[in-house]
Amino acid sequence: MRNRFFTYFTGSAFMGSMLAAAAAFTVFWMSSPPELRAQDAPPAAPQGGGGGGRGGGKGGAKGGGRAPAPPAGPVRRLANGKPNIQGYWKAGGGGLFSIEATDARKQIGVNAGKGIITDPADGKIPYQPWAREKELDLSENHTIEESDAHCYTSGIPHMVEAQSSFQILQPEGSAGYVVMIWEYMHNYRIIPTDNRPHVLPASVHLFAGDPKGHWEGDTLVVDDTNQNARTWYDIAANFHSDQIHVVERFTPADENRIAYEATIEDPKVYTQPWKVAFNITRDMTPNYRNMEFSCWEGEHDVTEKYTLPSQGVDTKNLPKK
Amino acid sequence: MRRQSKSFFAGALAIGTGLILSLCAPQPASAQAKGKAYDPPRLSDGKPDMNGIWNGPSALNADITAKVNGKSVIVEPADGKLPYLPAAAAQQKKNLAAAKQLDPMNHCFMPGVPRVMYVPDPFMIVQTPDFVAVLSQFMHEVRNIPVDGSKHLENIDLWQGDSRGSWDGDTFVVDTNDFNDKTWFDAAGNFHSDQLHVVERFTRSGPTTLNYEATISDPMTFSKDWKIRFPLTMNAAKDAQILENECNYKQEGPTVTEGTRADPHREAKK
Amino acid sequence: MRMSKLTLWAAGISFAAVALPALAHHSFAAEYDSDKRITITGKVLTVELVNPHSWIHVEAAGPDGKMQDWACEFGPPNGLYRNGWNKTSVKIGDTITVAGSLAKNGSPTINANNIQTADGKRLFAGSSEGNAAGAGKQ
Repeated sequence: MRNRFFTYFTGSAFMGSMLAAAAAFTVFWMSSPPELRAQDAPPAAPQGGGGGGRGGGKGGAKGGGRAPAPPAGPVRRLANGKPNIQGYWKAGGGGLFSIEATDARKQIGVNAGKGIITDPADGKIPYQPWAREKELDLSENHTIEESDAHCYTSGIPHMVEAQSSFQILQPEGSAGYVVMIWEYMHNYRIIPTDNRPHVLPASVHLFAGDPKGHWEGDTLVVDDTNQNARTWYDIAANFHSDQIHVVERFTPADENRIAYEATIEDPKVYTQPWKVAFNITRDMTPNYRNMEFSCWEGEHDVTEKYTLPSQGVDTKNLPKK
Repeated sequence: MRRQSKSFFAGALAIGTGLILSLCAPQPASAQAKGKAYDPPRLSDGKPDMNGIWNGPSALNADITAKVNGKSVIVEPADGKLPYLPAAAAQQKKNLAAAKQLDPMNHCFMPGVPRVMYVPDPFMIVQTPDFVAVLSQFMHEVRNIPVDGSKHLENIDLWQGDSRGSWDGDTFVVDTNDFNDKTWFDAAGNFHSDQLHVVERFTRSGPTTLNYEATISDPMTFSKDWKIRFPLTMNAAKDAQILENECNYKQEGPTVTEGTRADPHREAKK
Repeated sequence: MRMSKLTLWAAGISFAAVALPALAHHSFAAEYDSDKRITITGKVLTVELVNPHSWIHVEAAGPDGKMQDWACEFGPPNGLYRNGWNKTSVKIGDTITVAGSLAKNGSPTINANNIQTADGKRLFAGSSEGNAAGAGKQ
């Protein structure tokens, strides 16, 4: 048994092991918790849109012998008639390594990909010229400054496209909160939907910004202001200033899919607003729950070896708020 | 004369209305009839509503034996002290002597339970019938509390432990185990082993208060179980919101970063 | 078992994204050579199931026959747990076999693809290899 196993790997050498590693990783986020092992848990339904969008490897991860998912019903409803989008969801990937269309960038570990930008049509961020140069410099020489690596909560829309599943809760109450909680880095957003205004002054900057929402028909519209300049959209160091303003639209299409679109504007960095879009699909893993995610505790190569001062970064002159 | 007839009319109206309302409204099975327990607002599943932004007494974050309103929150044992086993008592003194370096919160590690309930940052309770989340402003920390009869995970060590919730009448009970031994109860070196087991009880006690009680069991560290009790107080301002305290030890030291604790009302007056 | 191993191999053959920031991700491309495959068998010295990478140190003989402390890097702990690991799966003193990619700089460091325990049980490594620049070779 042992010999056959290793022959599988070493015989087909690279491809075999690459596929194995990739498969194992996809399965990670789909597998049910161990407490189910004793039971006859049905296999997870095929996941649409999971994982990266590069190299044609994406889409239709259909394992052998699985029952097809039943057709999705209509959008579920709360007692007050608003869409009930509670449950666990997975964001379609494609923008995690690079939010924009890109060629392969080996030394920063980014493969060629289409990204998730739908406007402009070329799929690239409409950077002002100085900003494009800065992005190249950041990605090649300043990886250390990525805020995720230092356990700061993510910005918007990066947080929505996070690699793990996320939970949506809609507690009762006049605020109509839509609460989103990610396993990844235990990020969360608390979005009131009662049309309340932003009250934070412009001088206050938060990593995740300040989300204020309202319903337009079945679409949850979220206006996000007051982000700081410290977060990137992806691994390729695509960045923004603290003037960034994002308007998101979460439109449930059926009970298992939400169409997501975000319009991003930042007159300091871009020549025009731009849009990203992807699908968010219900995580069908039986009894899936978010687990605790300790952000890099105990991983010394990130928290200790790669601190900003140890890399020569002047922490007194970090990007302006 | 007219005043009297007015008041009579008003009284009759009040009585009549009261009768109608009491006939229509469901009678909560609480101690309301005894006139003692607070009858809280309820969600549509009949459970007391704990949704909101709450604060614990932050003096405890520095030292869990600190006095709150003049007395220790440690209600058992009666002397208000932590019942350490001898070896553990010695360890606590060592911890205290090196607390600045050793306190896991100074390394921006997870505060653990119950400490996250009384750090100097507010938290929001998000309550639905089968899931309660506690979202802390400190490091955007999350406590996941399924309320669905599911069992604890096994053979895993977690900073915040594995929590499962249930209702005991109008009290929300949270049972948490699967802790690692890496968190402290406070900045004074009070600590625990991975045998820690915490049972918390949340009971609405007033319009802006939530009574909190936690029983701590850890036979490797303490000679007996001990219990803390204090009120959580609600921030009921209409525009209250959780902000950010993102904590990063190595870069900026164990201090808050920009945008945190900003009082929007104070800022707006500038 | 919930799923046969064949199903697992066949399932989700997509370029699954890793729950890592650029730093940790970058470390694979910078540190490991996916063409340098290696397998070692030895005694477990330490086990750390931590984010973003779990680490197991194994005292084993390398290709040159020399006994060393091999640092073996695995994936994030939640993924391992969901795939059958728990804190008792691999213990100090156990004999295990680790297969993976060798560090570029020649140090005894392996980015693990898979691990087999002495009782023949196979555990997935959840390694970051499949998500780094090496995949560009497909």
